Amino acid sequence: MKYVEFLNETIRKKLATSKKVVIFGQNVGAGSFLSGLTRNFKNENITVINTPNSENCLCGVGFGLMLSGVDALFFMKQQDFLLLGIDHLVNTYNFIRRIYPKAAFTIVKIISDNGFEGPQASLNNFYDFCSIARAKGFTITNRVDAEHIINAHLLEPGFRMIGVSQRLFKHDILELDTVYADAKEGIFQYFDGSEVTIICFNFSFPLGLELYHKFKENSISASLFSVSAAMRINWDRLIRNLQISKRLVLIDDSKSLHCAVDDFLIQALEKCDIKKKIMLKRDLSDEYVKPSHDQLLIDYDDVVKKLKETDTVRKKDRSI
Amino acid sequence: MKNTFDPKIAKELLRIRLSQMLINEQCKAGVFKVPVHLALGHEAIAVGIHLLMDEYDRLILSHRNMHYNLARAGNLKAEIEEFLLKKEGLAQGELGSMNLANESKGIIYTSSILGNNLSVAAGCALAKKIKNDKGIVIVVTGDGAIEEGSFYESLLFLKSNSLPCMIVIENNEWSLATKIDERRCPIHIKKITEALDLKYELLNSNDVYEYSDALKTFKKESLSTSTAVCIEVKLTTFGGRYVKTDVSPFKRFINYHAGATSEVHIANGSLIEESAQDPVFILQNKVSKNEMNVWSTEVLNELTKELL
Repeated sequence: MKYVEFLNETIRKKLATSKKVVIFGQNVGAGSFLSGLTRNFKNENITVINTPNSENCLCGVGFGLMLSGVDALFFMKQQDFLLLGIDHLVNTYNFIRRIYPKAAFTIVKIISDNGFEGPQASLNNFYDFCSIARAKGFTITNRVDAEHIINAHLLEPGFRMIGVSQRLFKHDILELDTVYADAKEGIFQYFDGSEVTIICFNFSFPLGLELYHKFKENSISASLFSVSAAMRINWDRLIRNLQISKRLVLIDDSKSLHCAVDDFLIQALEKCDIKKKIMLKRDLSDEYVKPSHDQLLIDYDDVVKKLKETDTVRKKDRSI
Repeated sequence: MKNTFDPKIAKELLRIRLSQMLINEQCKAGVFKVPVHLALGHEAIAVGIHLLMDEYDRLILSHRNMHYNLARAGNLKAEIEEFLLKKEGLAQGELGSMNLANESKGIIYTSSILGNNLSVAAGCALAKKIKNDKGIVIVVTGDGAIEEGSFYESLLFLKSNSLPCMIVIENNEWSLATKIDERRCPIHIKKITEALDLKYELLNSNDVYEYSDALKTFKKESLSTSTAVCIEVKLTTFGGRYVKTDVSPFKRFINYHAGATSEVHIANGSLIEESAQDPVFILQNKVSKNEMNVWSTEVLNELTKELL
């Protein structure tokens, strides 16, 4: 099953259990149904509104519905358009956040990470929206986090944003088991190893998974985490893992400059005796605004080599 | 049914006027840290909306909300305590002035951002439709906020979804210190509403009795036709002053925006201007000047007692 089909199915299952919900956005009830993401949502409890192209208004509408006790899901074709609704994410939410929530308002937005869009329409900056709104946000990369995040957060009273990757839409959904899953916080652990801790942010989990397998081929025992949450969370589990492995690989394929990665790193530096840090992040030079593949490219062999170099140094240290 | 000359309505209008004048005196004394936006001259529409509202209606306000909050709460002391950010305030000191709301009296949201509240109102109107709730959503905005794109977007959403809603546009012709003709071309609200097949109404008499009757009709029509109505209310915000400028030897008039106004004094009574621009003057023409003075004194005494 494709990523987008699985998201659609999981959301539909969740909606089947809900009371009254208003689903709205551009093309959510017509045309391609956002490439299938919003297909077949309608039922007797669900109102689907195919809206005009008025993103600022639609954000206000969502908060108005939430204030009035009606669950609201705003599906957004492209995260860039949400820039027009920033006022509501910040100012309207600041008014509403002080009130015990009567209903849910969730913005499910497609992050344009397909590449070749050019200087505009390529805002792979999910964290920045969550940061400016001081709102919860979660990214979805595979079957496990999709089920957990959608079931735990989609219709939970309160406001949050859920980001889905356009690049992953046509890929098969990644299926694997977890060692640990905390849907509330948005932390998922897929493998438990003792020699290196791999932590994936934004939509980088497929890259982290590939790196995990590369380490395995090289007999390096790795833990693999995916952080779905966009904001500061309880990092204890990751910190404990890193305290054992002492070697860290952080992967973030977003274009955000200030995000959850930094918060984790500050705590990790304070609490862990890290022997090796490898940060795999986007090169945000001028080139990134030109039409390009728009991806974080990883030289996996080089990462393995760098990690092994540390091993050599550590062994030499011990022999001295 | 038309409002006959009910003295209670007149006294309510005087209460809103004199309450603001008392707040102004406290502003002059520098009592408040929050930015207070008086609405002297806006009392007729505020009392009209207050009289219109029943338990099912919802009111959504903007930064200049004092007149509506005073009318709905019926309590000057709680308003002042909110401005002082005390627990005893209307919103337990959590909202201050520009976001002051009062859910228990139907004021569910207030925004200090121009145009922000219109789409929230559209969402509340949609919620009423979804839940099949009684009542109507009333949103108050101004001639500055209708310059924002959100005004057009919200009208489009309301019409596209057949949502009843009353959009009250307080038009005092000023945004901060600039008049309409200093910042933009005229906006023909009526033509905008015609383009979207919405209703348009104009209120410009400053007569609280006329406003009260008219608003009842507008509400009924909006609900029965499931169509939003834009109600342009032409009014004057009192408290402006003449200031020197670098570009002209003559002093230039600047409209009142926020804070204390030194042009208005409670000692001069409730009337600010002997003209049709002052709702109190319009009221005075319905009764004798003497009777107005008696009522003003009575209302002021009650307010003074309330503050003790």
